[in-house]
Amino acid sequence: MANIISAVPSGAREDTWSRLLERVGQERDENAFAQLFAHFAPLIKGFCLGNVNASFPADAADEIVQEVLFKVWQKAPSYDATKAAASTWIYTVMRNCRIDVMRRNKRTITDSGVIEIEDIWDEAADDQAYVYLQQASNEIIIQNAFKQLPTEQRVVLTQVYMQGKTHQQISTETGLPLGTVKSRVRIALKKMQVLIDVASKKRSDTTGDGQ
Amino acid sequence: MINHHPDENLLAEYSSGSLAWALSLSVCAHIQLCPHCRQKVSALNKIGGVILNTSAAETCAPNSFENLMQRIHQKTTTEKAAVEKTEGEQATKIAAAEGLNNAYSHDPLLNRLPKIIEKLLPINGKLKWQRVSSALKTARLTAGQNEYEVAFQRISSGGKIVEHDHRGLEITLVLQGSFSDEQGIYSRGDFLVRTPGEIHRPTATLNQDCLCLSVVAAPVKVTGFIGHFINPFLSIKPA
Repeated sequence: MANIISAVPSGAREDTWSRLLERVGQERDENAFAQLFAHFAPLIKGFCLGNVNASFPADAADEIVQEVLFKVWQKAPSYDATKAAASTWIYTVMRNCRIDVMRRNKRTITDSGVIEIEDIWDEAADDQAYVYLQQASNEIIIQNAFKQLPTEQRVVLTQVYMQGKTHQQISTETGLPLGTVKSRVRIALKKMQVLIDVASKKRSDTTGDGQ
Repeated sequence: MINHHPDENLLAEYSSGSLAWALSLSVCAHIQLCPHCRQKVSALNKIGGVILNTSAAETCAPNSFENLMQRIHQKTTTEKAAVEKTEGEQATKIAAAEGLNNAYSHDPLLNRLPKIIEKLLPINGKLKWQRVSSALKTARLTAGQNEYEVAFQRISSGGKIVEHDHRGLEITLVLQGSFSDEQGIYSRGDFLVRTPGEIHRPTATLNQDCLCLSVVAAPVKVTGFIGHFINPFLSIKPA
């Protein structure tokens, strides 16, 4: 199965994961879940281990993989493939797991109702619906743009996302002034935007669709 | 028309989950009002997805999948009971929310709040407004953290607030009405970041009261009557 998936063009492949995730959500399809697990579990583990300073402790990486994919199974019914690709959605589930871990022992009593992580970081916050393949090719365009960034900028985005660090923490750990960290992140994002715009324009010129 | 937005850095920290809870809450309230930033955040989330996708794959412990499925199946057997329980809780919650709406509906300033802000309202229906000056009232909100003071600031129409400094990072989100200071005019959805040393003197516009959410880094406490008197923003306690 894995071979078949990797043999199809990359744009369609992303689409495959999204369709599998939908089947998990709507039909509680364990076979589809097994395929998602085989693909994403090693990536999630790699992502966790890339976080050297461990808000995820390295020895607990396997446990975190379990926790994230358990949540993926639980939350899959709310997944909407027209709003996010599987990888993005799984990323947000993983991020929320991390916030949960970081937040344990920090909670204080409120006089309002309990505010859940999902209230602040809603996995379905994107209200803009795309058609399937378009969503998938957006992901591919972003992925290519990320790969084209100069190392320095790719590194800083990795620190922000993978290591889950604030700009201040990155500054403290690397010795770079806070202003430099901030401008690197901004330049990286701007550069990605330019690369994405160019690629999207190319695509709409060839396919004739306006988006 | 929203003219003031969180910057790219703040949105990236929010999207990556590293931004402090109370600050994230204010960003969330802004994006619930601002489609532009909502779209930006969803683009930033995609970068997270890309970084996950390009991570070096690491082999998982043997039987990981089997163990997970076992846990899922165990869960499923208890799920039915849980669902019933949740449904019950849900009904209670909905009833409570309706009660809340009634409790707060008499105050027009509290209508049309972003969803996340509605959740901050005390469930006993009692928001405690404290008078800071003739123009300014403040009500503390508990947000389940202790790094930042989260509060409503309510400026009466045309009211001026004493010139004040900021001792720590302060985020202001306009929820209703508008106010102005030396640098501009701000209305619903505008998101302002002030850093220490920025002195300003806000004034609400004449025709309407103004409601803002403020999130302020917990300041070093100044004791004594004078400190309390001079700067109302120093009397705050994180909650």
